[in-house]
Amino acid sequence: MLGVRPCWTFMKISAARGHRAARVAVPIFPGSNSEEETVRACLAVGLHATLVHWSAGPAALRGYDAYVLPGGFAYEDRIRAGAIAAHDAMMDAVVAAAQRGVLVLGICNGAQILVEAGLVPGTGPARRPTAAFAPNKPGGRFVCRHVYVKLSVPPDRCAITTNLRAEEIIPMWAAHGEGRLAASRHELGRLHRSGHIAFRYCDRFGNFTPEATPNGSPFGAAALTNKDGNVLAIMPHAERDAWTYQQRDGAVRLDARGDAAKMLAPAGGIRLFAGLARALGVKK
Amino acid sequence: MLKPVAYSVELTIPDNEAYTTLVTLVRLGIVCRKLERSEVWVFDVEEARADDLEAQIRSIETIFNPNKHVLFALGSPRPRPGEVWVGERDEDAGQPRPAALREVRLAGRTLEGVFGYRRYKGWRLWESEGEVASQEVIANAAETLLCNPAFQVIIT
Repeated sequence: MLGVRPCWTFMKISAARGHRAARVAVPIFPGSNSEEETVRACLAVGLHATLVHWSAGPAALRGYDAYVLPGGFAYEDRIRAGAIAAHDAMMDAVVAAAQRGVLVLGICNGAQILVEAGLVPGTGPARRPTAAFAPNKPGGRFVCRHVYVKLSVPPDRCAITTNLRAEEIIPMWAAHGEGRLAASRHELGRLHRSGHIAFRYCDRFGNFTPEATPNGSPFGAAALTNKDGNVLAIMPHAERDAWTYQQRDGAVRLDARGDAAKMLAPAGGIRLFAGLARALGVKK
Repeated sequence: MLKPVAYSVELTIPDNEAYTTLVTLVRLGIVCRKLERSEVWVFDVEEARADDLEAQIRSIETIFNPNKHVLFALGSPRPRPGEVWVGERDEDAGQPRPAALREVRLAGRTLEGVFGYRRYKGWRLWESEGEVASQEVIANAAETLLCNPAFQVIIT
């Protein structure tokens, strides 16, 4: 597989930070709606997460160790999902940081913003998208359903997944109307061959089936990473399946019944945030 | 005999999407003073049925709401001066059309005599009051913001 390599640029940045707590910015645009859950998941894995409001200006986003773009409908999805936010001045700081190797995670609408900003798959210049999360097929309908995704690249292909086991399966919630990976035929082939498709939808046993993909995405693609592996754009919401009480698997919830601590314990999708924390040097 | 018939559906109330888009285009350095957005529908309709089509479209409220829209029949199925249409790339283009498909369902309604349709978002740009944007400005706006070529196409 081409392009598979550890994220050395990022590792150097992480090492340079020393023992200072990892600071993560969660930028919110008008229309973002998953920022509180995202911050909560970040805090649970030991990250120092801060909400940064769009009115604070781009300067407020400088100096963070990582960025997590939450889900929602930034700017009401005007023009296309993520298009206006991708060109917002707030994203100037995120684009510049990503190009320096800083970690960036985008979830759902955050992923759409990263694609529109050209940060993933990153095969063209910034702000010139070469792929899209296009309207779902068939029918272009919004889907809200529980899904499983499987890591489909070696864990060290992307800095945020280095904490995961090979082919690890993580439960999440898909909630989007535009989540189908779209690109030219040539570009789709390249994304597949070059290890840009970081996660694929699967069933709970890890089988890739058409039924497991909620949006008609080719290859069952659920997430894209860039060439350097420091940016990850993932459509389903890991933060909405991050606690025991949110688990779809009834046996997991049953085991925790009557035990508040167990019920409120991190689970499932928190693994993705743990990966981010691990990549930032948090030992927890 | 099929005939392409195009309609433009435009808002009569303030268009927040057009405003946000205009602000973003200006921020990106595109010379644009005014911007109008419309929904453009191009139908392939039997010539004998073409005159009835507008009444059918006007009765579908998800396309045309008389409280906030005006509907224009466009003289030709092409963008007007200063305008670009952006639509999804037809991934099924070139595939044979089922012979049995003699009518189209749209928004839960059957459109009689219609064999197919294409939907675009129309953006009409003005460089100054009364002066529509040049092809160069339109192409720049489309490439910079209005169209994602990964899944969309433009018609100018």
